[in-house]
Amino acid sequence: MKGRNLLLPLEPGSWHASLKRLLVELEGTAGAQIHILYVLTPSEWGFLAREEYDTEEKLLALHGAMDEGYTEGLLKTFKRLKEIARELALLGFKTKVVLIPGELDEVIADYCQKHKISLVVLSISRSSLSVFRVSKIVDILKAVEQPVLIAKG
Amino acid sequence: MPIFEKVLYSTDFSPLAKVALDYVKSLKGAGAKEAVVVHVPVLSVELPGGTDLLGEKNLYNLLPEADREYVLNAVKKLEDIGKELEEAGFKVKLYMRAGNIPEQIVSIAQDEDVKLIVMGAHGRSLLAEIFIGSVSADVIRQARCPVLVVKKG
Repeated sequence: MKGRNLLLPLEPGSWHASLKRLLVELEGTAGAQIHILYVLTPSEWGFLAREEYDTEEKLLALHGAMDEGYTEGLLKTFKRLKEIARELALLGFKTKVVLIPGELDEVIADYCQKHKISLVVLSISRSSLSVFRVSKIVDILKAVEQPVLIAKG
Repeated sequence: MPIFEKVLYSTDFSPLAKVALDYVKSLKGAGAKEAVVVHVPVLSVELPGGTDLLGEKNLYNLLPEADREYVLNAVKKLEDIGKELEEAGFKVKLYMRAGNIPEQIVSIAQDEDVKLIVMGAHGRSLLAEIFIGSVSADVIRQARCPVLVVKKG
C-alpha cells in the first residue's frame, strides 16, 4: 500500500499522535503524498468561490472582500494545518495543505477525482462540534469511490 | 507491535469483498501477519446471536434446506479464502457466526483484539446505499479500532 496519494480531510483539533502513527505504519516513511484538506462548511464560506486555497497569499487576498476576523481565523487554521504537514514531512511524506469551501462530502469526492486520490483517511471525532461524526462519514462513504480508512481519535 | 499486525476481514463473498481481500493482502507490506476472516450469514431462520456455525456442525441438519446449502457453501468459500491468505503468508482464523452483522463483526474484533477491520461498503444487498448507512455505519460506530471500507476495485 506504499507510495500512494492519500487525502486527509482534517480539522486542526482532530489531529492526534495515533493518527500519525497509523499513517506511518500504513505507508512507511517515504513515498506517499498526503493532501491535508480543510473543508469550509457553508456557515463559514458564505460567497467564496469553490477553489483551492493552498497558500497564505490566496487567503490574505480575501482581506477586504471579507470580514477581517474571519480571514484571520482561516489563516490560523491554515497555519495549524501547515504545522501538521511539517510533522509529516519530517517523517518523509510529501504534503500539501488546502482549504476548500463547500459541502463536506461533495468537496471530498471532487478532490478525490481531481487529484487521483487512492485512499481517504478520516479521523472520526467524538465531539458533537466536529464535522466528522458518523452520519457525515456515511455521507462521505456514499460520495467517494476510493477506499476510506476511518480512525478514531 | 505494528498497528496492522492482526486484521479482521469481513466478507459476504461479493465481488466487492474480493476487492477488500486484495487490500488485506496488500497490508502484508504494512506489517500484517494475522487475518481473522469473518462471515455472518443472512439466514431465513433466526439463531441465537453468536452461534458458531463453523463449530456447531450438528446444527446444519436442523436448518431449512436452503439455509443448510448456503451455510455449507459458505464454509467452503471461507476455507478457500483462508487458504488464499495462508498462501499470502498470513496466519488465519475463520469465523462464521449467526446474528446481527455489525454486532458480530465488532464482537469478534474485540475478542481477537484486531487492530483493523477491512470490509466492503456493501455486498449482496441491492439497497446498497441503505447498506452503507447500516452495516458500515454501525461497525464504524461500535468498533474500537480503525475501519477500512472499500467501495470498488
